[in-house]
Amino acid sequence: MRPVSAEETIERLIFSLSELEQLGETIISGHGNFNVSSRTYLRMILGTLRVTNGAILRYHPTENHLSIEASIPEGDKSLVIPVTPDEITAMLESSILDLSNPPPTLQSFLNQICPQLKALGANLWAPLKIRDEFLGVISLGRLFTTGDIQAWDRELLNVLANQTSIAIVYSRMLENTRVEKFRFFTLSDMATQFSRLLDTDSLEEELVNHAVSLLDASAGGLILMDELTRRLEMKTHFQLNPELETLSIPIDSNCTQHPAISMLRKVTTQGTTQICTDDKTVALFGVKNLLVVPMHGRTESVLGVLVVGDKEGRGGVTLEFTEENCVLLEAFASQASVAIENARLYQEALEARELRGEMEEAAKIQEGLIPDTEPDIPGYDVRGYYEPRGAVGGDYFDYIQEPNGSSWVLVIADASGKGMQAALMMATLRAGLYSEVMREQDLQSMVVALNSLLYESSTDGKYATFFYARLQPETDWLTCLHAGHNYPLVVRSDGSCEWLGMKTGGVPLGMFPGDMLSQIGEYEPEPIQLHSGDVVLFYTDGVTETENPDNDQYGEERLENIAKRLHRTDTNEILAGIRDDVLEFQGTAQQFDDLALMVLKKK
Amino acid sequence: MANNKFDVEIRHTSDCAIMKTDGYLNSPGGESLAEAARELIDKGNIKLVINLEQTRLINSIGISILIEIIELLEERDGMLNFCSLTPVIERTFRMMGIAQHAGIFPDEASAINNL
Repeated sequence: MRPVSAEETIERLIFSLSELEQLGETIISGHGNFNVSSRTYLRMILGTLRVTNGAILRYHPTENHLSIEASIPEGDKSLVIPVTPDEITAMLESSILDLSNPPPTLQSFLNQICPQLKALGANLWAPLKIRDEFLGVISLGRLFTTGDIQAWDRELLNVLANQTSIAIVYSRMLENTRVEKFRFFTLSDMATQFSRLLDTDSLEEELVNHAVSLLDASAGGLILMDELTRRLEMKTHFQLNPELETLSIPIDSNCTQHPAISMLRKVTTQGTTQICTDDKTVALFGVKNLLVVPMHGRTESVLGVLVVGDKEGRGGVTLEFTEENCVLLEAFASQASVAIENARLYQEALEARELRGEMEEAAKIQEGLIPDTEPDIPGYDVRGYYEPRGAVGGDYFDYIQEPNGSSWVLVIADASGKGMQAALMMATLRAGLYSEVMREQDLQSMVVALNSLLYESSTDGKYATFFYARLQPETDWLTCLHAGHNYPLVVRSDGSCEWLGMKTGGVPLGMFPGDMLSQIGEYEPEPIQLHSGDVVLFYTDGVTETENPDNDQYGEERLENIAKRLHRTDTNEILAGIRDDVLEFQGTAQQFDDLALMVLKKK
Repeated sequence: MANNKFDVEIRHTSDCAIMKTDGYLNSPGGESLAEAARELIDKGNIKLVINLEQTRLINSIGISILIEIIELLEERDGMLNFCSLTPVIERTFRMMGIAQHAGIFPDEASAINNL
């Protein structure tokens, strides 16, 4: 071998210093991703040391192996070398490893990985490390000129290995800074965006997406508690097991079937964060690991839980969730909880406004149904009273003169339900009733026709109670027909009382189809003879079911007593007296059902 | 293990390649995008457009991989434009400094025209 001249040595020294300077510039140039710039580093290292082939191997602590980051010439990128903690310790204690003459502590390791070393064409290994952290190795083939590595080449390789280690750590620092910046931005962006989202479905979806993204997870979901049913229900999810879409867990039940269900109950009831790796739980969610945090409401209540699964690392690995991740997701969940509560309050306000509007419309319809003048019936005094209380209840009474001009129909009815639906049902009943009265149908045909009309026009099993009374003033006969309504009260002039419709009558109108009606019961007319001074009192359940603060009902007995006391007075006084008695009984209790009364008195 | 669906559709115009993604731009999604980009760059396609119309979600690993693609192209004096970003992703790109190294355009045509 030709001895190296002083001139050549100086030239190489200058070249090496120049390459080292370039290496340093590459590190700080802003090209922080080591996996992009690693090939450039390797090229500089090979050029400086005059080596024809080599590789940079990175150590992956989660998988305990070395893999190729860059190689010249391009080799098999799937090549991996498993390493144990002892082998890492031995490499950290070494500087340059001559693979043909390794230290005894690494001899067995190097023998085991002989095929990989052969594939790499490795002759020398320079461990990459910062303090006592092992980062990887620079693997080099034979030197181009001299064959054997000289002392000062060893020194140069050490310097190059140090520079490369700095580049790896710098790349990692940049990556961490980028991740933190991303998280900071996601959290701050979320606060702005979520305050604008008032549609709960969109909010829930965005919330899960942001949580998944923030935690670098692969999947996530939002499970919220239904306050009415006390069940935890999956609201939305991203890439979790699709079978969880129907998840519904009773929160108060003690029967524990599945560890996942116990865990969700625990997070909800105790408000504690959980990291789950339990096989059954993660299998149910369709992930490898799971981070579950509670979502607290304003009043210490728990709204539900937020879950994210499979924290990602580079290269397709799944990482474990850390304590830092728990804190981060908890912070996110507390912001998300406020957003969910705000959206719910907004929805409730909207619904209340819609309901108010509907109630106002329903009240107008109801008002139009109640007659505002009393009829002039020879020998009789008749008067009605209606008082809306709370939600519109669908109460109705009316007096209709028959086409013959001599008979009158007095009706009182009460639709099931409240609001617009009840008001519309009463409007339908009224229209049908007027039509039937004008056609002068017999009573049974009329009630069957009205039943069919309500049954076919109503939804959700709605119906109406109904009491029909046909008054013939010339004969003083009152013919009654009862369809599930409160029994009207007759107070005779001597103060004796009887209830109408107790012996005859059928079910409310609209409850069953027409063909079933005859099987259930007959609507038999019940005639009664009226005499001077007799009073007939018609009313809806808003009267007898009025409750006092002790939740006792006003009832038929009290109605009978007040009617007995008032029956000698005129219809105005009877109505006012009953109304006052009901209100006195009610006291401070709230009432939501309308009050409807109609009094007929034979002069 | 979570069911991650990610697709990259590649089309070519006379002087650029368009990569249209579909799915969560996370680690596996980003790796498949980067692999497709590397192949294109190695074949001499150094003007790229990445259309993110069908990508509504990205994480920090996805961002990191996009930066790698940008660095790879800068090494080869290439150029990258993004288009059809959701408002959240666009804000993220601007905040993360990606917009300083790659163009952001509302649609594919303007992204191609500005390469």
